[in-house]
Amino acid sequence: MGFFSNLDTERYDRQYSDRDLVRRMAGYFIPHRAALLGVVVLLLLISFAGASQPWIVSKGVDLLQQELSPTNILVLGGAVLLVGVTIWLTNWLRRRSTTRIIANIVLKLRVEAFQASLEHDLSFYDEYSSGRIVSRITSDTQDYGQVVLLVTDLLSQVMQAFILGVVMVGIDWQLSLYLFASLPVILLIAFSFRRLARKVTRRGMRAMANVNAVIKETVSGIAIAKNFRQEAGIFKEFDAANKQSYQVNIQRGFVLALVFPVLNAIGGIATAILVYAGGLSASQGMVSIGAWFLFIQSLDRFFFPVLNLSAFWAQVQSGLSAAERVFALIDAEAAVVQVANNPVPRLSGDIQFKNVMFSYNEREQVLDKFNLRIIPGETVALVGHTGAGKSSIAKLIARFYEFQGGEILIDGQDIRSFDLAQYRRQLGIVSQVPFLFSGSVVENICYACSEDITSSQVEKTAYQIGNGEWVESLPQGLTTQVGERGSRLSMGQRQLVSLMRVLIQRPKIFILDEATASIDPFTEWQIQQALNMILANTTSILIAHRLSTVKAADRIIVLDHGKIIEEGNHDVLMKMGGLYANLYNTYFRHQSLEYVNKRQWLEELPVNLGD
Amino acid sequence: MSSVASPVEFSISKQYPTKRTGPVVWISSHVARYRYLIVSLLIGALSNAALAALVPVYIGEAINTIRDDPTDLTPLIRYALLIAGTQVLRGGLQLARNFSAELISQRLERDIRDELYVSLLGKSMTFHNLQPVGDTMARATNDVREINLMFNPGINLVVGSANFMIMPLILAPRFHPALMLVPALYIIAYALSLWQYLRELRPVTDESRAAFGALNTRLAESIDGIETVKGSAQEPQEAGLFKKIASRYRDAFVRQGDIEARFLPLLLLGLAEAGGFYHAILLYSRGLLDIGQVVAYFGLIQLFGFPTFVSLFSYSQVSLGMAGAKRILELMNRENYLDQNEAGHSGPMRGEIEFRNVSYAYPENENALQNISFKVLPGQTVAIMGQTGSGKTTLVKLVNRTYDTTVGQILVDGIDVRVWSLNALRKNISIIEQDIFLFSRSIEENISFGKQDASSAEISHAAKEAQVDEFIAILANGFKTVIGERGVTLSGGQRQRLALARAFLTDPRILILDDSTSSIDSATEDKIQRAIFAASRGRTTLIITHRLSQIRWADVILVLRKGEIVAQGSHEELLATSDAYRRIFKE
Repeated sequence: MGFFSNLDTERYDRQYSDRDLVRRMAGYFIPHRAALLGVVVLLLLISFAGASQPWIVSKGVDLLQQELSPTNILVLGGAVLLVGVTIWLTNWLRRRSTTRIIANIVLKLRVEAFQASLEHDLSFYDEYSSGRIVSRITSDTQDYGQVVLLVTDLLSQVMQAFILGVVMVGIDWQLSLYLFASLPVILLIAFSFRRLARKVTRRGMRAMANVNAVIKETVSGIAIAKNFRQEAGIFKEFDAANKQSYQVNIQRGFVLALVFPVLNAIGGIATAILVYAGGLSASQGMVSIGAWFLFIQSLDRFFFPVLNLSAFWAQVQSGLSAAERVFALIDAEAAVVQVANNPVPRLSGDIQFKNVMFSYNEREQVLDKFNLRIIPGETVALVGHTGAGKSSIAKLIARFYEFQGGEILIDGQDIRSFDLAQYRRQLGIVSQVPFLFSGSVVENICYACSEDITSSQVEKTAYQIGNGEWVESLPQGLTTQVGERGSRLSMGQRQLVSLMRVLIQRPKIFILDEATASIDPFTEWQIQQALNMILANTTSILIAHRLSTVKAADRIIVLDHGKIIEEGNHDVLMKMGGLYANLYNTYFRHQSLEYVNKRQWLEELPVNLGD
Repeated sequence: MSSVASPVEFSISKQYPTKRTGPVVWISSHVARYRYLIVSLLIGALSNAALAALVPVYIGEAINTIRDDPTDLTPLIRYALLIAGTQVLRGGLQLARNFSAELISQRLERDIRDELYVSLLGKSMTFHNLQPVGDTMARATNDVREINLMFNPGINLVVGSANFMIMPLILAPRFHPALMLVPALYIIAYALSLWQYLRELRPVTDESRAAFGALNTRLAESIDGIETVKGSAQEPQEAGLFKKIASRYRDAFVRQGDIEARFLPLLLLGLAEAGGFYHAILLYSRGLLDIGQVVAYFGLIQLFGFPTFVSLFSYSQVSLGMAGAKRILELMNRENYLDQNEAGHSGPMRGEIEFRNVSYAYPENENALQNISFKVLPGQTVAIMGQTGSGKTTLVKLVNRTYDTTVGQILVDGIDVRVWSLNALRKNISIIEQDIFLFSRSIEENISFGKQDASSAEISHAAKEAQVDEFIAILANGFKTVIGERGVTLSGGQRQRLALARAFLTDPRILILDDSTSSIDSATEDKIQRAIFAASRGRTTLIITHRLSQIRWADVILVLRKGEIVAQGSHEELLATSDAYRRIFKE
């Protein structure tokens, strides 16, 4: 636990001062203060009960040497019984309470962390891996919650040991000293074992990871190996890794196997010393036999807290740094800031960039005093090499990023003054790799549906695309489950579902980052149909990768290094023979029917290929 | 069910034979190799518990000697030394126990992984095609590890704590036979309550695991799909949904905590201690025990503490290991669906393919292919097109018997594929799948994978034919470059062309290419076209493709829809007969 905790720091991580951290954490506990108080009381009860058991027994042993009445016997038995029942009962209540406190705090922290993540803009997600954000929300919150359990568990053990300690010093301080003297030895041994164990465990894990990697590689390639009859070769590779892992892990196992035997032996020696020293005192009449027995019995109750103590700090520390990571996620500042929250009326879809300055980071200016006007209902295709600024323009319109200068006006209004949720509801966005949530096709189409949309409307729209051919090719039609992230659908089908989402939503502004994935021609044709239906009713910004899309645009905007180089439709631009014609040759030529019909590349092939 | 006797495609001679009839038998047959270690484990465990039980006995004796004669310290010293001596000895024996358990468990892990791996290598391609890699991985890594942990600490602790459980029962009669009562009652009550506890806990832990899984999955999805979430202003809905799922987990967590909180064996331990103490004093008051014996007996009862808390953990470890063993065994025992037909036809192949009324259904599914008939002459190129789920991939996998038809016949050179020797059939058929797998080895080794003795001239020729030579030339280490190392990542097109180079070297008569790469630029497209063209020359080629130019120039085009051929013929024929086909060739 916590071995890798220092590996995953992010730039938004911050060091909270101890005071801030404690205050922050206390904030989560305050609503549960009554329950916490209860837990503390129960802890005290458990500790007293736990400490009283050896004391009662030792008193009993002393009583045995005098006259025993039946009442005495009953009282002694009853007292031990009472202690046992009390321990169990109070422990039950304490665990119940702590479980609830932990569960509620973890829940609250999770919801807050998730909500904070939703507030972050896309620059945040560009920078930080989503896997790590997820682990902060799920496991770091959990680790933090566990600290509570750790603290209370240890506290009850330490308190119990403390109470016993006080009682024992009261009986005989010299004997107590013998007992306490053994504790640092145990602590020292426990600590050095931990260090050693960590070292061998790390090596063991590395060897393990190596075997796993080899297995993964060769199992994935097994079909190839079989195809080419190379089984013996990959077995050799596996065998070596497997044997090496065995060697390393056996060392680890031996080190771990040492721990308890060594501690037991030391515990035995400590007991022997107490038996002798106590017997000596008893023989001189300095302590009673019962007290002597009390000392021997108490050894165990000091042993465990000390052992746990050796692991405690590391665990608490990893819990605290988990808390720190969660707080950092919650506190990370948003880059996109709205200056007002004006309600957004039904838009007409007029978009204007005025001297817009934009960069993702300090190193590179993406847009430099960029100007562009898109009129309502227009279809604009953005083309250019990678990094020309196509998607930046689209993402700024979606308000996914903050720009640094100039103005973006939508229907003449500052985009920063909008109520963002209302504004985005009038946008239809389809990204290059369309994202679907697990659930049915229809649920995905209706991801952002207002409630007045019926399923028959969805079905009707679905069948408008290519006569519903795509719906029929899904195993269960619109109720087909798409799988995690839409994995059970082909890229083309996912594309269609995303376009359907937009069709149902009827936005005023449509932003499409066209897919580059290979899609079968039949599905491609249906995508084209869906696209045409959307383009007819919206102001559209298309980051085009397909020739047909470029040709369908009212205006093609040719970008280079954040500047507009050329504008016009396909034919005009081709005639100009400028950057567009160049881009056409680089990216679009092979999509033309001319290319398909001519096998141009054949002509470039050297010699005797025609057979 | 078992297929131990069925022919395997790969085996090694020195393997230790095991019995695979059931998980317990199987694990035992593995462990039987190390019977001396088992003996040493049992001796270690028994003596460990026995020596631990001696401590309270000696303490009792020590108390008695001081009570009898406080002036004579010799017996006290003797008992103190006895305690120290026995406990150091106990540490040594416990070490023997632990080491034995560790050796067994590590060897078990090594041997089982080895056995599983060899068994995987022996399985047919059909098996591997149907078996998801992730699942196999999980069994070869996690499940194997679970078996290791099942033995140590699992079984090691079960054996160890069982010995602790019986010690009080064995030693109590030394003092008085009636003292067996409390230990006996405790053992029974403990077993019953533990059984009940586990039964109660299991559905709750299942639910809490499921709830956590749901939480994780949805969370990961919302974060990965954040652009979609934000783009459609669904943040509040997502937050609401998350809260609902997180609350479900919270509830499961609380329910599990509640059950764990009222762990009954803890109460039983308290009862046993009270009962044992009371019983001992009662006997003492009747003069049947002395003080030392009361103390010793009470100490014996306290031995129950260790097994009471430890066994819970060790039992769950054992049951996890058993579940893992069952899964591994299931995988190893799963039958191969194809017979190898080693005595079958094995002449040279020309490459003619004919499908006659072929239908195929995956187990427990409706037909994936329906009544497929077509014929391909040697050297022809066939383009297969259709939407996702139309059966394209299934169709080509019938040719090399990755799957066997359920209805109809597939003939290669006029001979039913089932009459061919599987080895001869596959040697002449090369399949390049959609997801191209390359080993993390050098480019050279990857290309020559099927012909390990290929000369470097042959390798570079193959690379040239496959249009990867230019790409390889710009790499710092050229053909020696290791794939996946230091950021050497390949695009889909490059991987595909490397796979083509690999196929070139083995010179198959039939090439099957499942092509789903896309090229962003025209120059790359040119390369892919050239490579595929070169690969298809002189051999029968089946291409699943979305590329219009591949389709346009194929000798035969098959259009599939929902498992049926809805159109077939040359480009010109299809333009004349199929509306759907004509549509896609219109600009």
